[in-house]
Amino acid sequence: MTGTDGDWAALLRAALAGDSRAYRDFLSAVTPVIRGIVRARGFALGEAEGEDVVQEVLLAIHSKRQTWRPDAPVRPWLYAIARHKVVDAFRARRHALALPIEDFAEILPAEPTADPTERGDIEKMIGLLDPRAADLVRLIGLEGATTAEAGAKLSMSEGAVRVALHRAFRALARLRERHVE
Amino acid sequence: MKTEDLIRALAADSLAEPEPGRWVLPLVLPAVLVSLAGVLLVLGARPDLAQAMVSFVPVMRPVLSLALFGLALSAALQLARPEGRAALWPLAGVAAAALGLLLWAYLTTPAEARMTALMGRTSNICLIAIPILSALPTAALFAALRGGASTRPALSGALIGLAGGGAGAAVYAIHCTESSPLFYVTWYGLAVLAVALVSALLGPRLLRW
Repeated sequence: MTGTDGDWAALLRAALAGDSRAYRDFLSAVTPVIRGIVRARGFALGEAEGEDVVQEVLLAIHSKRQTWRPDAPVRPWLYAIARHKVVDAFRARRHALALPIEDFAEILPAEPTADPTERGDIEKMIGLLDPRAADLVRLIGLEGATTAEAGAKLSMSEGAVRVALHRAFRALARLRERHVE
Repeated sequence: MKTEDLIRALAADSLAEPEPGRWVLPLVLPAVLVSLAGVLLVLGARPDLAQAMVSFVPVMRPVLSLALFGLALSAALQLARPEGRAALWPLAGVAAAALGLLLWAYLTTPAEARMTALMGRTSNICLIAIPILSALPTAALFAALRGGASTRPALSGALIGLAGGGAGAAVYAIHCTESSPLFYVTWYGLAVLAVALVSALLGPRLLRW
């Protein structure tokens, strides 16, 4: 599912105005394009680690979404974020990537090829959040709870859930920054 | 966590962050006022301030400093967007005007007076005071633009330093009585460039995202 820049701009405008449905459609629409950029620019990462970078790009888009000007095209903005994060990802993994993996191919145990979109980096970072925030992100992400349902389960008001979720993603973005250094 | 799960969780977070330029004025204005108060209370305004504000050569000091502040800030704001390109030619214009003034002063100052005009009597305090007065405005700009997403953080840092340095120099000009461009283009310029250099080095660290 891709679209014209105008479609994306309309979705992102609605998203910035608070429409979660439009935001989800926007993120779903741009994800294959981001994956394409990550594979083209970061082919040395491999498919599975590439998906970690895709998720980092999504997190960066999320935490920097207010830097998009509603009257500007989406693509240049999106590509600039993706390029920046791919370069970052290489920097963070420099040592790991310097290893010529072919030499070890016969020794390495063959990992069961799981769903490549199921990734561990973000899960590890979520684990570093305070337990309540981590629960919240998992409830909404993995179990598909709405903010209201998550609130009922964690006995928080829906407003408190929104604030806590927002803070959780800010904390994740900060954890990312430290991870790269 | 699967990418689609992450998307679902991200989409549920509908609280908006402020735009990158939102905090510039609320943070920079108080910072500049503190520097201004510092000059007035610690160093004191020059006694002939009103007169100095209406004659061309002395007034170019705050004018060039404020132009540097405004143009560098505007370029830094453009770069706060990931796809942003900073237009640097207006800043080159300020540099050209300053160097033109320097050249003019060199040609119109008698050869034997040039060295005295260049060294002045207060170059030491100028080199110390301008970076100190620039520190708070520069820090305020860094804090305000941390919410941005510069993909060229060293250049963004340099622009922030030029803006903060311009603000500091403009404030210092209220005190300073050295009137020759040979003095102020040289020493103000060096002080502002030092602030810009340090800020350029801090940029990649402070503006990381």
